[in-house]
Amino acid sequence: MRAILVIIALGFSMAIMISIPSGIVANQEAAQRLTENFNSTISNMQEEINKTSTLIECSTSSGQGTFSSAPSGMPPGMPSGTPFGRFGQEEIFVNETVGDEIRSIDGVKDVVPFFEKSSNETTSETINTPRGEFTITRPLYTITGVCLNSSFIDDYSILPTNITAGRNLREGDSDVLVMSLNLTHYFGLAVGGKAEINGKSFTVVGICNSTGGGFTGTRTVYMNLSQAQAITGEIGNVSRFDVYAEDVSYVDGITEVINAAYSDLRVTTYKDRLTNFENMQTMYNETLNNAQSTLGQTETVATQEIIVAVVATSLIVLFVMLYTVRERTKEIGTLKAIGFSTWNVMSQFMLEGILISLMAGVAGIAIGSIGAPFLSSLLLPHISLFGGSSSSRFQSGFGSVSPGTTGSESVTAALSPQLMLLAFGVAVLLGALGSLYPAWRAARIRPAEAMRYE
Amino acid sequence: MSEVILKAEELSKTYALNKRKIPALSGVNLQVNKGEFVAIMGPSGSGKTTLLNVLGCLDKPTSGKMILDKVDVAKLPERELCKIRRDKIGFIFQTFNLLPYLNAAENVELPMENTKRPRSERRKRARELLELVGLSGREEHRPQRLSAGEQQRVAIARALANDPAMILADEPTGNLDTQNKYEIVRLLANLNIDRGTTIVMVTHDSQVASHTERMLLLQDGRITKEKQGLHLAKKKLVCPYCGGKIQPSDERCPNCRKRL
Repeated sequence: MRAILVIIALGFSMAIMISIPSGIVANQEAAQRLTENFNSTISNMQEEINKTSTLIECSTSSGQGTFSSAPSGMPPGMPSGTPFGRFGQEEIFVNETVGDEIRSIDGVKDVVPFFEKSSNETTSETINTPRGEFTITRPLYTITGVCLNSSFIDDYSILPTNITAGRNLREGDSDVLVMSLNLTHYFGLAVGGKAEINGKSFTVVGICNSTGGGFTGTRTVYMNLSQAQAITGEIGNVSRFDVYAEDVSYVDGITEVINAAYSDLRVTTYKDRLTNFENMQTMYNETLNNAQSTLGQTETVATQEIIVAVVATSLIVLFVMLYTVRERTKEIGTLKAIGFSTWNVMSQFMLEGILISLMAGVAGIAIGSIGAPFLSSLLLPHISLFGGSSSSRFQSGFGSVSPGTTGSESVTAALSPQLMLLAFGVAVLLGALGSLYPAWRAARIRPAEAMRYE
Repeated sequence: MSEVILKAEELSKTYALNKRKIPALSGVNLQVNKGEFVAIMGPSGSGKTTLLNVLGCLDKPTSGKMILDKVDVAKLPERELCKIRRDKIGFIFQTFNLLPYLNAAENVELPMENTKRPRSERRKRARELLELVGLSGREEHRPQRLSAGEQQRVAIARALANDPAMILADEPTGNLDTQNKYEIVRLLANLNIDRGTTIVMVTHDSQVASHTERMLLLQDGRITKEKQGLHLAKKKLVCPYCGGKIQPSDERCPNCRKRL
């Protein structure tokens, strides 16, 4: 009975020893994923910026903060605003004819109009931020109208990217749409299904998954520009022009003209995008550094905890064995009287101590594999970058970048056979260590004195 | 003259207690021959237990000489002494001292644990010894399922396991009721007669001691008196009371009906 209690107590100690390293490994993996994610985002952005040096984006929305604005000029698959960006602002539109006027500016090659409007349906989600929990109600999706002109389609990346099913939009498309993957769950649709947008029925011809750089947040339906305008009641209105210059050298001149003529258009060139990009990069680096330092702290804490667990385990074995020796003094005396040598007695007690800690090792692995996620989250500080992912069924933009640091799957996955084997080794070692002194005490008992002991 | 198994000369043992030296034995001279059944008697505090511990190589004498089965054991180191205890001495304790988590047979096998005997032979011998002490069929019983008398029988079987030169019994009847007491003493006496086992028994019970062939009285750490017991007469098959002929198995003299 006592042995069972001891084994359970030791088991807990062992479980701590097992779950802490697994928690650490999980954290390291999370940090690793985070770094990779960031790196791919950065390189994607860099590539995009280089590709679009002649692009001047003229959008109607203004006041986007540095933090929230992803570099614009991304293909429409990218959001022009992150989850924190667009919504809540009044959506302003300009007349299409402005595009024609811009087209006539010297050095302008093409003007591609875009239309973006939030859906009437909204969704609420709770987002944890370092400053607390916010419940945000935002439009369920964005209706994006793309000018399906074959020369635009050929020359510029104006269509949604990463088509995972079906086909992309093409010239002459009508009553069809391409839907972002994260919306299909909501509509319960696949390619070929019918979606009703603002009272009009559309056939889904393609699904796109614009994961580039981790911005999986935008939920968008892409359709013909004129239809988008029609169903939203904004006929003739657009929200953005992508102005393409003949050459990079014209960009500054064109920008000046547009700025002067259309004060309600916000103009971004590749220079702005580069600045944004650099800001973004700085922010990412800071985040990564934070993660690294948190990880470092975690490891320090973990080391301390493991030391405590190791010491506790040895002490438990030590005291249990000491008690056992005391309790069994008479037995030891008897054994010595009938011819057991000091070594015989000592090895028997050592063996017993090792056996107890081995069983504790088994118990520890059992407790550890069940309780490792719980134990490690209890014992280790969390790495919180953006406060974890949102609880809604849609993942918010940054939520998907921030790793589910001590997510239970990752901790369980980190409970490797090697770690268990190591735990066994440690168990044997601690058993031996903890019973060394008691065994020595036992062996030293003089049989004559032991016999008197009752 | 028969072979000398145990010879002690001027054996002394002093305990140090808070710098004061307390003599427990002060010059014991003693000789036990092969096949003898000897009792050491004495009031409490006379040094009985100390003497037994020294004779049993559980404790080292402070001075003096002790020869056990032709080996001078007084100066041997502990690692040698444990072998002497294993091979040359069989212990019987007042409180039986069986290991509670081992069954009767396993307890008997215990002293053979560190010998070269193969396992099967140890098993067989444990069975034989248990049969010898009248416990056949009880091999699998744990001590707590055996009566006090039966436990002491297991202990006697254990003491015989390695064919020791001598059996040392420390108040073997101290924890037994009257009936069991005589049964155990008779068992020891029979072992002595049938197998020629040398037995040295420490007791303060004169009734029990009288069943041996020689009684040594220990007083103040020294042997002061020696007298003959009933056992000698039994060995000679003569009734000590009427001089009539008796058999070793007789409980009472067939002539004078006196208890033997």
